[in-house]
Amino acid sequence: MFICAAGAVTAAGTGIPALASALAQPDWQPTLGLERPDGPPLPVAVCRDFSTQGVLPPMVARRLDRPARLLAVAAREALGAVGASLPWPRDEVGVTAGTGNAGTEALVEVLKAVFLASPEEAPPMQFPSTVANAPASQLAILEKFGGPNLTFAEKQAGGLRAMVEAGRLLRRQRAAAVLACGVDEAQWLNAEAYHRLRFTRRSASGPGAILGEGAVVLLLSLSPGDAPLARLAGWGAAASPTATHLYPSSGDSLVRAIMLALEHAGATAGDIDLLLSLYSGAPRPARLEAEALAATLGRQRPAVLAITDRLGEGAFSSALRALVAVLALGGTPIAWPAPPHLAALGFPDLSRPPRTALVTALAGGGSAVAAVLTAP
Amino acid sequence: MAEVWITGIGLVTALGCDRETTWSRLLRGESGVAALRLFDTAGYRTHLAAQVDDSCLALPSIAAAALRHASRTSRLGIAAAAEALADARLAGEATVHRPWAVVFGGGSAGLFEAESFLRRRLAGGPRTRALEEFLEVPQDASTDRVAEAFTLAGPRVTVTTACSSSTVAVGLAAEMVAGGEVDVALAGGADGLCRLTFAGFNSLRAVDPHPAKPFDRRRKGLNLGEGAAVLILERAERALARGARPYARVLGYGVTADAFHMTQPDASGAAWERTIRAALADAGLTPEDVDYINAHGTATEQNDPAEAAAYRRVFGERLAGVPVSSVKGALGHCLCGAGGIEAAITALAVARGMAPPTAGFAEPDPACPVDPVPGVGRPWPIRVALSASFAFGGNSAALVLGKVT
Repeated sequence: MFICAAGAVTAAGTGIPALASALAQPDWQPTLGLERPDGPPLPVAVCRDFSTQGVLPPMVARRLDRPARLLAVAAREALGAVGASLPWPRDEVGVTAGTGNAGTEALVEVLKAVFLASPEEAPPMQFPSTVANAPASQLAILEKFGGPNLTFAEKQAGGLRAMVEAGRLLRRQRAAAVLACGVDEAQWLNAEAYHRLRFTRRSASGPGAILGEGAVVLLLSLSPGDAPLARLAGWGAAASPTATHLYPSSGDSLVRAIMLALEHAGATAGDIDLLLSLYSGAPRPARLEAEALAATLGRQRPAVLAITDRLGEGAFSSALRALVAVLALGGTPIAWPAPPHLAALGFPDLSRPPRTALVTALAGGGSAVAAVLTAP
Repeated sequence: MAEVWITGIGLVTALGCDRETTWSRLLRGESGVAALRLFDTAGYRTHLAAQVDDSCLALPSIAAAALRHASRTSRLGIAAAAEALADARLAGEATVHRPWAVVFGGGSAGLFEAESFLRRRLAGGPRTRALEEFLEVPQDASTDRVAEAFTLAGPRVTVTTACSSSTVAVGLAAEMVAGGEVDVALAGGADGLCRLTFAGFNSLRAVDPHPAKPFDRRRKGLNLGEGAAVLILERAERALARGARPYARVLGYGVTADAFHMTQPDASGAAWERTIRAALADAGLTPEDVDYINAHGTATEQNDPAEAAAYRRVFGERLAGVPVSSVKGALGHCLCGAGGIEAAITALAVARGMAPPTAGFAEPDPACPVDPVPGVGRPWPIRVALSASFAFGGNSAALVLGKVT
């Protein structure tokens, strides 16, 4: 199962070259700040200069909400890398997407009308965008993709879940190719909720996560194509029963997800030479990650790379970690360091191109997903 | 792939707090559509919905800690899961970190509760009150709640493909079970009524101010509903070994995208034909094998003829002899929970040899040339049944269920 092409829109800019450029700069940091009506800006890494210009016709872009635009632009980059004509019938191309908040802005607009004007003022054009599957659906409509079109909600693990389910669709031959996606928008009510849960950081140097915005697309197929970027070798998932807004008390679910992924990939802990850390700046998941790695990797110390503490947390961020793993496997120079909690345990920075990468995600509520990616 | 059986069913609907009450009232042709009581509908264009009675949400058998701040939607899901586990005689087993999957269709989750917060906040109110009001905004919240209530430690998947969400969830869960990824899966979904969907569907003029009439010449739209269904799925050999009582087999599922329009169906039926054919192919069956169709049947002006056209394309002249009923006239359109509810009803139909009726149907429409089973349930031998769901965004899915022989 091959990852044949990719595309991205992140706080580093539009396109993979912009992301790669940021990854090559050790000190790169996003400009943080999402405005809200009556409080200080919230710690969100926003795609500030994002535009659809030159990618989507204005008439098309106008009918899409922001998450759908982010995703469409990222998808165009991935599809462009495959070539002018796709090697698969469009009816056999599927889309899987993970999102944590797609539709929130549309939801807010509809409820504003309901609450502040009258229920009869609810805008019919915006209502369909309140459903979380709108970005993936709009992408299928735009590109005439008739394969399975599935959106998944699994909070921080949503993007990785989308990649896993793309793999499952391919394995069962329900599609010839699948665009596995992650997409989130920066929306102040959503960010404010995370802030109130004390998940996000309260000061520039304090503990806590930053949230992110963006879209990631990984194009998967059973056939390698001309120049595959990486292979999806295996995956696993598990969960710990816990309150939906809390992280679990132990790293058990992450341990089981990693073990299942290694087993599915036919790999061992010793094969892993790159770990994409789920570190977002929030202390609790960092502690659970360290616990899980101790249980699964033992004394192995693969290189570790953290990106979520700079590009932001969200459902899309676990797909973004998979994308950065793919870039690293392809030899893209990456200068960002190991996160502090794993550096303290002796995990080194990435210094040479890896062959096998482990990507994990742990969601509030206790759901964990892991995937093993290998160089093609 | 191993054979997968449905060995337990839990249902909470506007017709009843449990499977048997829902089923018996459904067969009698009763409807759960009535004046909406959950919130004040003054100012809304319509006032009817299929609301679940609050008594269904009491859940005395569930630990209070697992229900703390649980949304209405989550309570629906937990209630259906409790009934399904008990029905499958797994309730005792399920309490200690079993690695069983929970695969749900997720929709409004805790949005009804969050609307109170949003009403204040959007009007410029404080941001520092009532944390619990928005804890269940994420659409996977009810999946988490069900897993937490029964301390389940297997993978959790929440599908959000609008009205086909829980149809996909059942198909995906069956695949996970068949492939040996998990021994048991709780599959289905829950969705509760809220102001957003009520206002939104009204804004699309998709709601009938009167009780909905699927496939009827006089139909004017849907009625919204709420409810939950949970199906217990396990491999046949496991079920046999423990003496479980199966309702039906999950033979296959199909999932496709219309790639046509966010809210409008392809009137030709061609897009949905692909979905149905994909499901039949997955099951290794042909149209000639199908004895009953549980339709999406929303009662909107556009859905029903497009759906009938799809069936006509697949089943041809044979369609005249295949009952095609919609439960949405009785249960309302339960959105992300609808597919799971309909899969449960279809499994009961297969197990009991009864085609459920289409409540509200009385006058045939030449544009919808199907037999919607008017009046009351019809005894009907069913070896293979199809349950179809067609969603916003053109996310279409169909399940094929078969009799356990």
